[in-house]
Amino acid sequence: MSATLHSIAGSRSFRVLWLLHELGEPVEVVPYQIMDGSLQQEGFKAISPARRVPALEIDGRVLIESGATVQYLCETRKGHDLMPPVHADERADWLQWLHYAETLGGGIQNLNMQHLFLPKPEMRSLTVMGIETKRLAIALKGVEKALSDGRDYLLPTGFSAADVMMGFTLTSARRYVRFEGFPHLTAYQARLEARPAYSAAQVAEGPQQFYTQDFYELPEG
Amino acid sequence: MQITLHHAHEARSMRVLWLLEEFGADYTLRVYDFFNKSLRSEDYLTIHPAGRVPSVEVDGRVMLESGAIAEYLAEQLPAAGLHRGPDHPERMEYLELLHYAETIGQHLANLTQGHIVLYEDWMRSPTQIGLETKRLAKVLTRLEAQLRDGRAYLLTSGFSAADCAVGYGVWLAPRFVSLEKLPHVAAYRDRLMARPALQKALPPEGAKRIYTKDFYEVPDV
Repeated sequence: MSATLHSIAGSRSFRVLWLLHELGEPVEVVPYQIMDGSLQQEGFKAISPARRVPALEIDGRVLIESGATVQYLCETRKGHDLMPPVHADERADWLQWLHYAETLGGGIQNLNMQHLFLPKPEMRSLTVMGIETKRLAIALKGVEKALSDGRDYLLPTGFSAADVMMGFTLTSARRYVRFEGFPHLTAYQARLEARPAYSAAQVAEGPQQFYTQDFYELPEG
Repeated sequence: MQITLHHAHEARSMRVLWLLEEFGADYTLRVYDFFNKSLRSEDYLTIHPAGRVPSVEVDGRVMLESGAIAEYLAEQLPAAGLHRGPDHPERMEYLELLHYAETIGQHLANLTQGHIVLYEDWMRSPTQIGLETKRLAKVLTRLEAQLRDGRAYLLTSGFSAADCAVGYGVWLAPRFVSLEKLPHVAAYRDRLMARPALQKALPPEGAKRIYTKDFYEVPDV
């Protein structure tokens, strides 16, 4: 039986979908939207009790956390170089980037909430928006710095699942932080997007529907 | 293994401190004040460019993400029994929990920011604090469901590094969400508190703490 991915286009779900494409693993996508109530269906609650995506049904299990799902797929699928083994030199860095991508993901989630999902301006906090934007920029600077030695991917040894964790995050981060000062990050993102599995996953995912602007300026405070 | 942990009392770095105590590992501890500029000193910024904790130096390698650190230390020191490797039947649950810990951690970080770091009412978004409180309660209900079968720790195979990662959130959560309707989580928290290693990771008497109130009420909108 092939895998089923419960997904919101433009969310963390893309990590799992892209990785499945990198691995050549067949998957059926069930799309949801944040605001249309589809996450509230009883059937979805049975799969993902906190009603969160991604939820991947595979091997008779349901996986919810994108980072754990990425690790699980790397460990259970063979014939790839997406994960350094436990005693490899780059193991610590690989784990570090996996989690670092999620630190970025959390910052983006906070900015999404402030910019997109709090319906009235007075519900927002300009202070929070400012802090989160600055934090996101600092965290991106860390990636820029790592890439500045000329490596193509996060690990000097080449493309890995850590890049899959990071890729979607950059697409979203760019809506809040300008990449002009990040030439290595810009080139890195272009390299990721040029991968056939990335484009194939984008087609499978469908268009995202919750961002309506390419860039969100901080409101005047 | 040569380990130096950079720590602030009650911050996420407590996970790593607790874990090191569970290992019975030798380590050097450097404690910083969460509120003053000590995390922004030139020396510290060379270790952690964003000036946050934890950071860990392991045999000269720097790691910044508490989830990655926990995972890495557990797999590099398997003799301590806190690891669940790829061949373990609870591997998947272990990975999910390690990453889930950060889902809980992000809500707690947002609440800490909203209630404590932003010290003026006008800086805050009560709507955001309310939403984050609800989300925290929701992610804890998943733990309640997991613990309902009477298991002592999160995995049926016993205490693991996942308990340190998630347990930090469970330790902190009652300052923001009542555990009254989550009896299994409350009992689990009591079991964690009874562990000598957790007790050693708590701030010593008289130390400056991040959390000074027993309960932080959601401000009125």
